[in-house]
Amino acid sequence: MASLSLQGIQKIYPNGFHAVKDFNLEIEDKEFIIFVGPSGCGKSTTLRMIAGLEDISGGTLKIDGKVMNDVEPKDRDIAMVFQNYALYPHMTVYDNMAFGLKLRKVPKDEIDKKVREAARILDLEKLLDRKPKALSGGQRQRVAMGRAIVRNPKVFLMDEPLSNLDAKLRVQMRIEISKLHENLGATIIYVTHDQTEAMTLGTRIVVMKDGVVQQVDTPQNLYNTPCNLFVAGFIGSPQMNFMDAVCNIKGNDVTLTVGEHVLKVPASKKKALIDGGYNGKTVVLGIRPEDVHDSEAFISNSPDSVITSTIKVYELLGAEVFLYFDVEGTQMTARVNPRTTLRTGDKAVFALDMEKIHVFDKDTELTITN
Amino acid sequence: MDLTQELTKALAELKRITGITLEVNIDTPEAAEQAVIQIRCLCTAYKEKYNKSDFLQGLMTGGIPAYDIAERANRLHINPDDKRVLFLLESRHIDETVSEILKNMFPAQTKTYLVPVTENTLALLRPVRPGETEADSRRIARTIVDTLNTEALAQVQLSYSFIFKSLADLPEAFRETSLALKVGKLFYSEQTVFPYNELGVGRLIYQLPVTLCENFLKEIFGPDVPESFDDDTLGTINRFFQNNLNIAETSRQLHMHRNTLIYRLEQIEKRTGLDVRLFEDAMTFKIAIMVLNYLQSERNH
Repeated sequence: MASLSLQGIQKIYPNGFHAVKDFNLEIEDKEFIIFVGPSGCGKSTTLRMIAGLEDISGGTLKIDGKVMNDVEPKDRDIAMVFQNYALYPHMTVYDNMAFGLKLRKVPKDEIDKKVREAARILDLEKLLDRKPKALSGGQRQRVAMGRAIVRNPKVFLMDEPLSNLDAKLRVQMRIEISKLHENLGATIIYVTHDQTEAMTLGTRIVVMKDGVVQQVDTPQNLYNTPCNLFVAGFIGSPQMNFMDAVCNIKGNDVTLTVGEHVLKVPASKKKALIDGGYNGKTVVLGIRPEDVHDSEAFISNSPDSVITSTIKVYELLGAEVFLYFDVEGTQMTARVNPRTTLRTGDKAVFALDMEKIHVFDKDTELTITN
Repeated sequence: MDLTQELTKALAELKRITGITLEVNIDTPEAAEQAVIQIRCLCTAYKEKYNKSDFLQGLMTGGIPAYDIAERANRLHINPDDKRVLFLLESRHIDETVSEILKNMFPAQTKTYLVPVTENTLALLRPVRPGETEADSRRIARTIVDTLNTEALAQVQLSYSFIFKSLADLPEAFRETSLALKVGKLFYSEQTVFPYNELGVGRLIYQLPVTLCENFLKEIFGPDVPESFDDDTLGTINRFFQNNLNIAETSRQLHMHRNTLIYRLEQIEKRTGLDVRLFEDAMTFKIAIMVLNYLQSERNH
């Protein structure tokens, strides 16, 4: 397997469209890297540049220390899995997996060895004689993966490989891919717009927007310490709550005022606001739904972070309840215990876990407190 | 005298492609040579007349008269009245791997025909199944590109036509897909699939005469028409347009102070006379850039 280095990678199309800007990333051997972001953010373009399917307009791409900018795709020792895969309808699973190797004139016994090994890894051994039409969606996707595995590449590139599957199958295949990474010990770069896929699969995640890398970090760090408003909003479901708040600094006391609610900022967060000179300025206060509490014990222990509202929607998901309500015209969500007695139309009191708040600069949208 | 090796080969080839068995009696090596030439000519003539690929190639490029289409199609067992869609594929080099993959994606029983057009373009004529729509054509186009990317690791761009009911419409479908491929590559180069009916302003510009384009640019930029704009300028303006002329959002995305962005836009105004913060000037600038790209590509050809 291999390490990759992307230094100052740019993609400008002949029509002037700047798809990827100054992309820098070092990928270690055996890492599972996820490129995530909304549609059109440049994640697939970056993957295609690594594959050699798009020319690199600027910067340097290295695989295992060798510059690959002008190397033909077939000589880069990579394999790809895409969203729109086609299995050859008249061929068996075995032949579908062997086809690419046959085209490359690999000896028959070697093909047989590789196909059977890939089939074993993917649990396809019993299906090798079947034709694609006799396979389920998940099995077909596994065959598509098998075609990549038999190449025994240095790097696997996957571009939204699960997008065409239904929700249940996607979860199942996610687990399969995760196992595959462990079994193969492969370097995998995986593109998705689905943040759940990103969080569950990746060892590190690259969050992109408008062709620019926003943050590169582990799933946990991205969730706990997002570097800007975009990452904070993109990672996490339901997404983080955001409210405009006015910062007031009096001596060593820092408060954030949201309409009539005054929230006391804890010691761990206030230094950045004092040092940044935010007194009197409007900032964006962010808090995750699970950090908005409705339990009496938490509320009585947090008198300086209480907000009141009326429940607009009550949503029971079994193991948890989502409560939707408005604070100063902004919709908020609380993720609470299903034993909650609150229902739609109830007047509710919540307390925010102020140790978990995120504060962002309203102009630059960058984090102040993380 | 016994048949020469070359003559035996030529006779076998004739039988393979036409089914005709010839008996040849020869006395001299010269006669054998003459016979080989004659048989090879026969094979070529037969291929020209009865080869599906040659027939479809001729039809696409308008080389077969309308009155001859149905008869020749029937002779080649091609139903002239099947509903079909044409895909036109371009790659840096269409090698054996690309053809093999396509042949196996659409095996013979699907009645899909692969027709080489040039060294790096290939047409794929596929029957449309009952109930299939243009949305399916788009899905198939994406699947072709993704499969060739995955299996052949080939850079591919592809256009597709409207669904047509008769082979007589194939020349029109070919014109449309050729135009879509050219316009797509020129104006929407970030895409890989170009539907015939999503060419937008690009279709208009592409069909304008060069002199008209040059006059338009002179009108916009004056006598000193720029050859092109630098990447920074184009990048700034494109991002500004992508953000619907929103200064705050663009400066945030470009990581520059809004005053710096305003300064850059003012510099562009000084240079071109167009204040791209105004919708009308922004539209003119966008079209002018497309026309510049078009002229540049015309010059390169």
